[in-house]
Amino acid sequence: MEAFQNGSKEKSAFKIEIKDVNFDYVDKKSKYEALKDINLDIREGEFICILGASGCGKSTLLSLLAGLNRVKSGEIFVDGKKLKGPGTDRAVVFQQYSLFPWLTVKGNVLFGIKQSGRKIGKKERERLAMEQIENVGLSGAVNRYPSQLSGGMQQRVAVARALALESDILLMDEPFGAIDPRLRLELQELVSRLCTENHKTVVFITHDIDEAILLADRIVVMEPGRIKSIIKVRFPHPRVREELSGTDEYEKLHRQLISAFYDQVEEQIDSEVAL
Amino acid sequence: MKNRFKLEKGMFFEYLLATGLMLINIILASALPYFTKHKVYYDSTAYVVVILISYIIYLIRLFITKKKSVNDVAVVLFGFFILWETAYKSGWIHNDLLIPSPEGLFHVFVEKTPEILADVWGSVRLLFLGFLLAAVFGTLLGLLAGWIPRIREVLLPVSNVITLIPPLMFSAYLIMIFSTFRQAAVAVIFFAVFWPTFQGTVVRVGQIDRQIIEAAKTMGVGTVGMLTKVIFPYCLPGIIQSLSKSLRGAFMCLAGAEMLGINLGIGYFIEKYKSFADYRCVLAGIVTVGVITTVIDMIVNKAKNVLIKWEK
Repeated sequence: MEAFQNGSKEKSAFKIEIKDVNFDYVDKKSKYEALKDINLDIREGEFICILGASGCGKSTLLSLLAGLNRVKSGEIFVDGKKLKGPGTDRAVVFQQYSLFPWLTVKGNVLFGIKQSGRKIGKKERERLAMEQIENVGLSGAVNRYPSQLSGGMQQRVAVARALALESDILLMDEPFGAIDPRLRLELQELVSRLCTENHKTVVFITHDIDEAILLADRIVVMEPGRIKSIIKVRFPHPRVREELSGTDEYEKLHRQLISAFYDQVEEQIDSEVAL
Repeated sequence: MKNRFKLEKGMFFEYLLATGLMLINIILASALPYFTKHKVYYDSTAYVVVILISYIIYLIRLFITKKKSVNDVAVVLFGFFILWETAYKSGWIHNDLLIPSPEGLFHVFVEKTPEILADVWGSVRLLFLGFLLAAVFGTLLGLLAGWIPRIREVLLPVSNVITLIPPLMFSAYLIMIFSTFRQAAVAVIFFAVFWPTFQGTVVRVGQIDRQIIEAAKTMGVGTVGMLTKVIFPYCLPGIIQSLSKSLRGAFMCLAGAEMLGINLGIGYFIEKYKSFADYRCVLAGIVTVGVITTVIDMIVNKAKNVLIKWEK
């Protein structure tokens, strides 16, 4: 990382730079400031978790990074270039129901490969698709349609499709929020492993503290509209939940996050009561 | 394989009942004498064949679906035939002109085979042409309007007004515009199918899951790709569903369209024999329409199952 920061001046030291970003949701009558003066720099290969209660603007931030919404003011740079819209340099995994229901598991992954714009033959594409499907452990369900898969399997396919784009950056919007806890752990470890192996720069949205600790290099705690604090996680990758939980460092981090997270939740509840 | 032809205990009795009624039907048709005098007596062969075909369809349905309701339908159908037959032969029904015997009704298909076939073919061809044009253009325009707000805001209010006007009311004017009655008839069917298809497609495009669109956008799908590779396949099941509905509407318009002056088609057939006061043939024509719509419906359903494997 040091080498990067000392690099040439033209090339940015950071993979993603978010500078003074503001975003409003404008209604017919009212205006809601979803994000106020957000600043965040993300290094290449870094795994960032954005932690916050619902309505704090974390998903909005991700949609800006994905290029699905435009900033009101401020700028976002990816690889030193100003971000203009959606693109295949950033793969996105959504919370649910983002697979194409008319395509099989293989078809969905192939769609990602075709869209990535690589000039490769049909056979090579098929091989790559099968490889990605194998990576997420779904070789047995290649020809099934999304409606025939459980929620957990669908998210595996979504991850495989995103990886198939072979982008440096992976954006994940609470991808395992709707999955039951036992399977969630399995998927978290899978994503952690795949992202480390493929050296991805990841922005991962979550409201689950344990998930954030397990995955992140840095955890960005958000309160409505703002970044409240950024906490580093120093456990080496790959991480295993059983080995981490119970250690003093884990407990300390957990407490720290809980206080950061719940302070803000209490404030929010108070303000809602006051209204 | 053994279980395939086995019926549940409760169903066996009902199966016997339906079969018994069918046999009584055939005996009545071939052996029951007429107790009163009628103007014409018809050969019962066609009627017996119809009974046998009904029975075969019943058996196939029964062993495929294994539903009790199949038995009920068969019992009602054969029961109705028995009532009709006895009512006619015993002389409860006097009016030969308005109510024919079942033998007489189905004998029409023997007497007028070439005529009916030609008319069915004529109808189906008109229907197919108008329907296909309307389905293709309605879907295309619907996809465009559904996706691009500016097009939608122009076309949707227009379509809301036009769909309220029954397509047949255009007919008088359409005859003036088009050089042949055939073209006018196709145009009537086109209008009957085009606007509902267009509106249905617009609505369906509006209902697409936002996540699907966003997922496609983040994978770099452009406007053309979005319409052809994402929105069209997403809407296809709904489009086919609504097409099978509007197909029935189209058939109704067809009968009207054929009365515009083409001397071919099953609607024309019915109209012609109505003016001859030959209600036996009119009824036969109505039965034919029923059969055609059922067959078309089956084909559409089959096509839906073949094309859309991802639902269910």
